[in-house]
Order: sequence, then C-alpha cells, then structure tokens
Amino acid sequence: MGLVVMLAFAALAMAACARPRVDESTLTIAMPTFSDGTFLPWTGGGQRKAYLDPIYDYLCIINPETGEPGPGLAESWATSPDGKVWTFKLRRGVQFQRGYGEVTSADVAYSIKQVMSPASRAGPASPLRRLIKGIETPDAYTVIINLNRPDPELAKGYLANAQQVGIVSAKYVGEVGERQANAAPVGSGSYQLDFFRRDSEIRLKVREDKANIWREAPQFERLVFLAAPEVSTRVAMLKTGEADIAPVSYDDIDDVKRVGLRVRSIPQSWSPVVRMGGLVQEGTRYETKNPWADVRVRQAMNYAIDKDAIIKRIFHGEGRIAASDTPVEAWAGLPPYPYDPAKAKDLLKEAGYPDGFTLTLKTFTTNPGAELPTVAQAVALYWRAVGIRVSIELIDWTSLRTAWTSGAARTYVWTHRGFPFTSAQNGLEAGFEAKSLFASYSTPELQALIDAHSAELDPVKRREKLVEIGAYLRDQAGNVFIAHINEPYAISAKVGDWTITSSNALNFEHIVRAAPGSAP
Amino acid sequence: MTRLILTRLAEAAVSLLLMSVVVFMLARLTGDPVAVLLGDGATQADKAQLTKELGLDRSLPEQYFIFLGHALQGDLGTSIMGDKSPAMQLVLERLPYSLLLASVSLVIALGIGVPLGVAAAVHRGRAVDTGARVLALLGQSIPPFWLGLVLIYVFAVQLGWFRTSGFGGPDRIVLPAITMALFSLAAIVRLIRSSMIEGLTSEYVKLARAKGLSEPAVIWGHAFRNSVFPVVSFMGAFFATMITGAVVIETIFAWPGVGRLALDSILRRDFAVIQAVVLTITTLYIAMNLAVDLIHAWLDPRVREAAR
Repeated sequence: MGLVVMLAFAALAMAACARPRVDESTLTIAMPTFSDGTFLPWTGGGQRKAYLDPIYDYLCIINPETGEPGPGLAESWATSPDGKVWTFKLRRGVQFQRGYGEVTSADVAYSIKQVMSPASRAGPASPLRRLIKGIETPDAYTVIINLNRPDPELAKGYLANAQQVGIVSAKYVGEVGERQANAAPVGSGSYQLDFFRRDSEIRLKVREDKANIWREAPQFERLVFLAAPEVSTRVAMLKTGEADIAPVSYDDIDDVKRVGLRVRSIPQSWSPVVRMGGLVQEGTRYETKNPWADVRVRQAMNYAIDKDAIIKRIFHGEGRIAASDTPVEAWAGLPPYPYDPAKAKDLLKEAGYPDGFTLTLKTFTTNPGAELPTVAQAVALYWRAVGIRVSIELIDWTSLRTAWTSGAARTYVWTHRGFPFTSAQNGLEAGFEAKSLFASYSTPELQALIDAHSAELDPVKRREKLVEIGAYLRDQAGNVFIAHINEPYAISAKVGDWTITSSNALNFEHIVRAAPGSAP
Repeated sequence: MTRLILTRLAEAAVSLLLMSVVVFMLARLTGDPVAVLLGDGATQADKAQLTKELGLDRSLPEQYFIFLGHALQGDLGTSIMGDKSPAMQLVLERLPYSLLLASVSLVIALGIGVPLGVAAAVHRGRAVDTGARVLALLGQSIPPFWLGLVLIYVFAVQLGWFRTSGFGGPDRIVLPAITMALFSLAAIVRLIRSSMIEGLTSEYVKLARAKGLSEPAVIWGHAFRNSVFPVVSFMGAFFATMITGAVVIETIFAWPGVGRLALDSILRRDFAVIQAVVLTITTLYIAMNLAVDLIHAWLDPRVREAAR
C-alpha cells in the first residue's frame, strides 16, 4: 500500500513538474495579510487599501513628488476664508462599474458619511466625526463640506487617496445591501473584483466596461493578491515566479538580489519608536512617579541609543535617523539626538539617577515591524550601558493596545511603529492630543501649539508652527525616536515603473509593465 | 452499542457546555476587541460606544447567558471584523480546506507508516528496521516549520515540482500534506512496530504458523489485526489535531484552514469566532473519540461484549 501511495505521489509530482507559466497579463502580489478581507471602505482598516485602491477612486490624489493633492474625482476645490467650508467640484462623466451610473455628489456624501459613521471600522472614523459638521450637495457635481473647526489639509488628508474615503455607489449599496456590496464591490476605479477566497486569494480584473476607465489604462489585465503570512514563503514565491511583488525582510534583501530580483523600498514607511507610559497629562493616564516623567531622563534615553548602528545592523541601512516618531516634511531639518552615552549619563545623574534605574520594555511583532523585538534588545543594551536596567517582555499587540487605550500602560515603556500621515495635523491629532486614546505624549503646552497650528490658515505661518511643534516634541523627548525606516519589496522582471505615493498608497493599479527583454 | 453511543453523546453535551464556559471566560480575560477596532485618534466616547455596540458593557455572566441562549438556537454570534460574518460560517468556510489537508496527510501517514512499521517488526534488526527507526526519530523531532521551509526550498524553488503555497491544484497540497504527515507517520511506525513485535512472538501467531498458514497470512491476518488498536486510538485523536491545530503549517504554506482562522481570531480577540472554533474543535474531538470507540467495538468482540 505504501508503495502505491508513493507511486501515486510520484506521478502527481511528474504531472505537476513545471514551474508556473509566466502570464504577462497578470501581476501577482504576495501580501502578509488581507487584514479584514472586506471590500467596502468603511468595513475595515487601511491595510486593505492595496486591493481596494484599484477598485475605488478618491476625491483627491496625492502627487508622489510633491506630497500635495491633485485632482481625483474632484476636479477642483476651494476653502472658505475661515477654513471651515470646503467646496469640491466633481469631474463629470465618471462612471461606476457594472452600469451603476455616474459618480455624483450624492455618492460622495454617502461615502464620507459611511466612513465616519459610528458603525464604521475605518481608521479615521472618529476624527472625521469630530471634524465634519455636515455635507451639502447643492447639485450633482458639487459637494460642500462644513467643518466644526478649520482644516486646511482636508484635501491632502482625509479625502485624498492615502486615506480611506473611497467613493462607492450609493445606489448600488442601497439596492443590494451592505453584505452583498461587501462581497461584490462597485467603485469607479479601473479594476473590479473577480474572485475572493478569504485569507487566501483576491483576484481583480480590469473592469468590463473598459471605455469608462477615466484614468490611465491599466497595463495588467489582472491583479492577483495572495496572502502569504510567512516571509520565507513570499521569498520562495518570488523565486519561483509565483509572485511578482512581495514585501521581504531586511535580511532577505541580499538573497533576492542574488537571484536577479530587484528591490524597491517604500521610503520612510514606518518608524520604530519607544513610547513611554504615563506621559499623557490627562486624568489617570498621567504618572509622575516614573523616572522618565523628568524630561532629562527622557533625553538621556534618547542620547543613549546609537540609532545609526540600529539602522545599519537591523535594517541593512534602509532608513534614516529620526528626530520624530513619524516623518513630517517640515520636521526633516530637526537635528536628531546624537549618540552620546556620556551626556546620557550626565543627564541621568542630574535628574537624580546616578545609578540608573530599572524599567520594563514591552515589545511585540507586527507587520511591518517584525524587527521590533530585535530593536527592543538593541535599545535595552544601549540603555544598560548608561545604567538603565531593562526587563524585556514579549507581548502580543492586542494586549498592549488594550492596556494603552485603557490607560493601564502607565508604568512601562514599549516599542511601537509610527506611520506617516500625509496630513501632519491628522498625525498630531491621533498621537499627541490628550483626547486620543492612542496619544503617547501630551501636555497643555503641546495642545496649545497644536491648536494654534490647527487654527492657522496662512501656509507659511502654518509651517512655522508645525516646525515649532516638532522642535517641542524633540526637545521634550516625547518618545524615544529611533529611525524612519524604508519597507523593502522585491519585484520581478515583469514590473517596470512603479510610483509609490506612500505606504498608504502603493499604486499597484498603476504599475507599468516592463518592456520585454528589459534588463532586471 | 446503542447504549455506548447514547452515553458518549450525553458526555459530549456536558463537555461542550463546560468548554463553552472555559473558552468564554478565558477569551475575555486576555484582552479587549474594542482596542483592536478603535481607529486613529479614537476617544473615550468612541470606546464607550463600541463597547456598548459589542455588548461588552454587560456583566460576564449576563454576556455568557446571552451567548448560551443564542448558541442553543445555533447562533454562535458574529465576527467583530469587517462584514460581521456569522462566526460559524467563517469556521465552516475553512473546515473543508483543513479536512482536505488532514485527509491527504492521513493517507500519506497510514500509507507509508503502516507497511513500514510492519516491515520493521518483521525484519527486526535489519536495514529496513534501522531505516524505519531513524525515520520515526526524525519525524517526531523535526520541527514542522523547518521541514516545511526545507520542502519548499528543495521541491518548489530548486526542483520546481510543486507550488510553494496557497490553495489550488494538487501541486499545492503535496508539500503541506507531507509536512503534516511526517509526525503522525513517525508515531504510526513506532506504534505498529512495537505492537507487531509483541504480536509476532505471541502464542496465537505461533499457533497460526504451526497450522501451516503462509507468512503473509500470519503477519496481516493475525499479528497485524491485533496490532492495529493503538494506531486507531492514536489516529482518532490525532486526526482532529491535524484538522484544527495546523497553525504553523497553514501559515508557512498559506493554507486557508481553521488553524489560521483560530490564530487570527485569538490575536484580534474576536470572541465569537474563538468560541466557534473551540466548540468546533471540541465537537471534532468528541466525534473522533466516538468513532474510535465504534471502530474498536467493530474490531474487537471483547469491547462489544463489554458495551452490552
């Protein structure tokens, strides 16, 4: 019987004895996760944008070169002098897939309302609820958004393609219901959903009514997304030609290059950072007994770390030393804390800790961010060298998130990953305003600076205020800033030009096919 | 036999009830799904609203009895994620993939393990025996994640015989099935070998040989039949583990089975899905144990007698 089984499998092997045929019209992307695996903008988080962006359009499209918003579904827009009223003029004639008609202001209003609704699972739901007072649609091509406070960055922030407000057909969702619309989404983008197997495979194909594609014609007939949680598997998929694009680990970069694949990195797509508990000066989240409640200790913790070595050794040089927890263009000129263990020791002594102190550093793995535990070990060693004794605790992200958002993470520090925001204001609101449960550092002075920045409409003065906030955060050492890290993707010879806007707008749908025979 | 089945079913009901309490409480002690769902810049008010929406503002006993009441009507709740799919639907979506992988693994494990175990016992101390023992040792000591990656490297990357991962044609199931099969194959070889060695020296085998039966008839008709009981017991429980516990293998081979669903739901604190997965696993174990009992009774008249 055993022989029979072995022969059967040998035969199976012979039958299958071929590498996958290269299908030039299909672009296959291996991803660590599909996250929620849902297809309406408001039924999940932003990690889904890789496969939602080809289906949906956005009001504004961020220019990858300048970071400024350009026309998307909105051809033009204007703000009122007080910055509280935004008027968007829609492009005429853009059609939804499957014959669901023209994109109108009613669809835009519906989509925004759904994303900001209490039932929404979208990332920006809560800040949008606080920001938007009401939406008017005086005609089919005009959308007026009234805000509770000025937001001069609305067009490049929440309503641009780096965020989650994809425009859906209100008529379609109303007709078939949310569950069906989730299973078979209808947007106005170039691709439509062809096949979905949960946590396994998503196939998109160019929309059937190709004449209605209003942006540049897609170069691939199909985009296939395969979920492959294990990075070694993704590398194997790239090597066998089963995938054309996949995020790889920093340790895999040399390996994939050796076999002729190229590596394209998303610049500064995430930031390893150490957050410190008890620094939100609000209610029970404020803890004055921690050694790091003293700014000198926080500065010492920053000075003690050789960030350059971490970038070189752990991230293979894919990143730059950071003076902030997330990359903001206006903060690019801020000098980071240099590696100066002697100064760190002096500051600790000055703060009353000549013999250092003991702390708990919690860490977890996530994606991107599989290297966070390694970063934690490096940080612990650097701190140990200046007298800070560290006990590292490996924890899962959800447990830490639970503690953080419940105000229980007051007496320890933890590694975290910062993400870039196209609108700095959105990032400040999430990370540094006391009302946000995800704030890690907040003081009345900082809040005043943020409020002043938020109310400022003059672009030059606004930028100055933003620089002031960055300098304050840096000087106060609100976090232990380490680096802004690039995220490496290995790509096959099939991939030509690939313009990445940010980690939130990967633009798979706009990848240009490489010319046949072009050098890898 | 009917009495045996009824007794087992009554025990199953109690087990399921106890398991529902344990999993319900444990899941809630380890974290909060609200924290997973809160988006950037969420406030205390958002958290309170979401907590209420998910029914987590009620006391634990109240939550449990609501869950139990719905469960008795076949409703194990809905996932907190995305489209809020019914939890049981998510489990049932994945179960066929897990069943397929486990079944193919079982065929490989039995197809190779049984004849190899018998051959090792019959040719004790010779090359085949040494080979079988080495295989058994390796099979039970090689970590599946390592074996899986090696198989991918050799048979997918280097030789190009199979696909690396994912669900699809037969070229995608061979490597995960072999990875999964190796541990149980090793166990089967050891179990069969040891009980066959015992059986081959027993009085009834001597009698069979004395009666002039051919050696294959002695080995397969007498010694093997009595050696198969420990394997049946082992495989019953192990098959359920193969279906539901293959998290590592499913992760490496990107196989969309129940194991990955279980892991993801635990990481997200998706209580309804965790409960549905655990209750399904419990049901599978109970069903497998019942099947093992019935097979024992069918194979062994003494068991049938005892059950009367």
